[in-house]
Amino acid sequence: MIEVNGTLIVLLIASAIGCSLLGPVRIDLARVIHHFFSPDPDTEILLRTRLPRVLLGMAIGGGMAACGVVLQALLRNPLACPQMLGVSGGASLGGILGLIFFPQWLLPLAGGLLGEISWVPLAAFVGALLSMAFIYRLSLFRGRLHPYHLLLSGVIFNSFIAAVIMFLNSIVDFYQAQGLLFWLMGNLSTRAYLTVGFIGAYVVAGFLWLWSKGLALNLITLGEETAMQLGIEIGSVQRQVFVAASLMIGAMVSVSGMIGFVGLMIPHVMRLIVGSDHRLLLPASFLAGAIFLSWADTLARVLFAPAELPVGIITAFFGAPFFLFLLYREGGKKLAV
Amino acid sequence: MKFLNCRFAVFISLCFLVPFLRYEAQAIDRSDNLALFPRRIVSLAPSVTETLFALGFADRLVGVTTYCDYPPEARQLPKIGGFMNPSLEAIFAKHPDLVIGVSGATDPISAREMERLGLNVKLISLANLREILNSIRTLAQLLGNPQAGEKLASKITLKIDDVKRRIELARRRSVLMVVGTHPVIAVGGKNFIDELVTLAGGENIAGNSSQPWLNLPDEYVVAKAPQVIIEAGMGSERENSTRRWDDLKSIPAVREKRVYAYGSDKILRPGPRVGDALAELARLIHPECFSSNKGYAGTPCERPKP
Amino acid sequence: MSAAIEIQDLLFAYDERTVIDGISLSVDAGEMVGILGPNGSGKTTLLKIVSAVLRGRGEVKLAGKDIRSYSRRELSRLFAVVPQESAVAFPYTVAEIVLMARASFHSPLAFEGEKDLAVARQAMERTDTLALSNRYLHELSGGEKQRVMIARALAQEPQILLLDEPSAFLDLQHQVQILDLMRQLNREQGPTIIAALHDLNLAALYFDRLVMLRDGKIYRDGSPENVITEETIRELYGVPVRIQRDPSVRRPQVFICTTG
Repeated sequence: MIEVNGTLIVLLIASAIGCSLLGPVRIDLARVIHHFFSPDPDTEILLRTRLPRVLLGMAIGGGMAACGVVLQALLRNPLACPQMLGVSGGASLGGILGLIFFPQWLLPLAGGLLGEISWVPLAAFVGALLSMAFIYRLSLFRGRLHPYHLLLSGVIFNSFIAAVIMFLNSIVDFYQAQGLLFWLMGNLSTRAYLTVGFIGAYVVAGFLWLWSKGLALNLITLGEETAMQLGIEIGSVQRQVFVAASLMIGAMVSVSGMIGFVGLMIPHVMRLIVGSDHRLLLPASFLAGAIFLSWADTLARVLFAPAELPVGIITAFFGAPFFLFLLYREGGKKLAV
Repeated sequence: MKFLNCRFAVFISLCFLVPFLRYEAQAIDRSDNLALFPRRIVSLAPSVTETLFALGFADRLVGVTTYCDYPPEARQLPKIGGFMNPSLEAIFAKHPDLVIGVSGATDPISAREMERLGLNVKLISLANLREILNSIRTLAQLLGNPQAGEKLASKITLKIDDVKRRIELARRRSVLMVVGTHPVIAVGGKNFIDELVTLAGGENIAGNSSQPWLNLPDEYVVAKAPQVIIEAGMGSERENSTRRWDDLKSIPAVREKRVYAYGSDKILRPGPRVGDALAELARLIHPECFSSNKGYAGTPCERPKP
Repeated sequence: MSAAIEIQDLLFAYDERTVIDGISLSVDAGEMVGILGPNGSGKTTLLKIVSAVLRGRGEVKLAGKDIRSYSRRELSRLFAVVPQESAVAFPYTVAEIVLMARASFHSPLAFEGEKDLAVARQAMERTDTLALSNRYLHELSGGEKQRVMIARALAQEPQILLLDEPSAFLDLQHQVQILDLMRQLNREQGPTIIAALHDLNLAALYFDRLVMLRDGKIYRDGSPENVITEETIRELYGVPVRIQRDPSVRRPQVFICTTG
């Protein structure tokens, strides 16, 4: 456990440095160090436009991966991912409504301006909370959340939300539609350390809590009855995990839109490396997700510079073939049943 | 069984071909329509609506888009749908004898459908200043009052020349023009706004791009260090969109407090108000050339009049 | 260590259908009881109620205390269940599966300790599954899987062992092997054993007490000779049989009368 996580932590730090140094504009590191405290273009590029973004990417990548692991256990389904829960759909819709109907064009998440309220992430989070409550209510039966109901209601809810979003897309003007699309495809651009710090703390706190439930998650994957017989109060664990994961996903989607694929792929990749014990899988997935998303975002920034690709495209484009390759090589003996 | 499967496959394939069969409506002899000046016009773009109003043809407009809001009287006119997706039915119901769209903006498929229904569709190109002025003349001619077109074009040209004169000797300033805040959409090259920026004495930092609108990352802006930033997104005048640059103090525009919010409606319309837009842009980029004391710390703005 | 089970006037219904219709049963600590009955008679449901998966109306007492007064954690240290089948959604090794039994014995925030590993190892030795430790569960044969499940149950150091059709998917060799193990365990360490069975002959051979269920009620309760008779079998299964006492083991064995 130490070796794997230790390696990942080292990789994480290296990624933070590496990703901050890469971008469409070349910066001179010597200048940065020399001008650290004065307004210098290179310093500002590194510290104000790149670093917050890299850190946000790590927080969200880690959070999405951790939620993916947890949801796959909760739903006992290897195909589960954060998107399925319906919470991300609600958050997206909330954010889009905030984008369209609030008179303010998105108040910038500018750094150094405490007291500046951003409506869109707040609206998105409210959307997340409402949809979480709705799906929770739908799936609760005799004190337990049935995986089947959770899955179905999440998927159907998402389809409904998608239809509403498409409708909104057809009635907004060109620039709002651009914003809408950008939001839907995921977008890590931020300069506010306040936002990054807040989300980072939220995600890390959530991850630590979920990690403490690692043993319970192991048992839940054996089946509801078995879990009960091995001593897990399954109803309460399910409810708590659902709420924790939903809150995390809601917060993440509120800030960056829905970045897909990380929550589906990273758990599987890490499962092939460290096994299915959630006490190992959770931290490993968290770290791996952080590393993966920060590099994916770097690629998104650099590939067609100066234009930026939505990071969700990169995660799918590069994630899928890599995963297939890994599956081909190792999957034979370690395929999930 | 095999024979039946074969026939079935052929039948299914033929079914798929049906939608692709082309049928041509009878060729409409359009020359007659143009001999008489059009009396019932549908406009598919706000800039077209503004032009028609400015030329004095407002009474001939029978349909406009929901975005046509200038002049205010245009809002009272019947609507035929949006800018990107006008309603063919609504247009047809007005029985127009001329439908005017903008090439590059109006959906070409809709335009073709309208022609197939027998409507007279004209797409004008408004990609740069010259084309804007030409379109004014062309439309005026098409509608039977070429003098009005000349008059309007001259008026606009005068305004442009006035601006050019005022800032003739001022040193060019690098400009970033933003039309969308999240994400940051900047004006690129091959865009009439880019041309306006140049005419106003600025140099668009994204001007050598071949794309009209660019999604510009912040670090690029920092690296290019524009001297003036103009936030021209929707509602940016009311909002604090200029404050989003406050923390990037290495940018000259931020340091020297030359970040401006500008209500975008005039700028985004390649129509008759283009001269006014240019003047306002120039006022933002070279304020020293428009103050009552001409000149700025000894630097001349314009050639002294002989 | 073993505990007693007491059931009084148990009733259970799935929606409209009554599955358990008034069962009163008393099992002493250290007894080995087999539950018989045709499909739908309530065997599995009864086991589920005793293992606190389902809750019926009536009284269920384990080790003298009402089952509802225990927490789940306490219950899992009291009894263990060997299920009929085990479909696991994710790949776990045999060692991981058996170690999961120790979940209630150590802190949820820690990994398994020395004692846990020792108990698990011993359980695997007794079930002859130690060699399979690093294999994945889904790669094993039905019999091997079943033995792993038993190892897991043993690793819980239970006072009551519940088995739901433990021989259902096994070949003859393994069926005998498992029931031998059960009997040996019962005699040595003495957990109370309750097993639902469908094989009448095996039930008769290995269990001293059999309870036969019919339509959610106890039809017969007693020694194999009293329970497995020609009339009971004809009543319950509708199949004519002949019963003969096997001279070597002195237990009734069932011979089916076919017309062909």
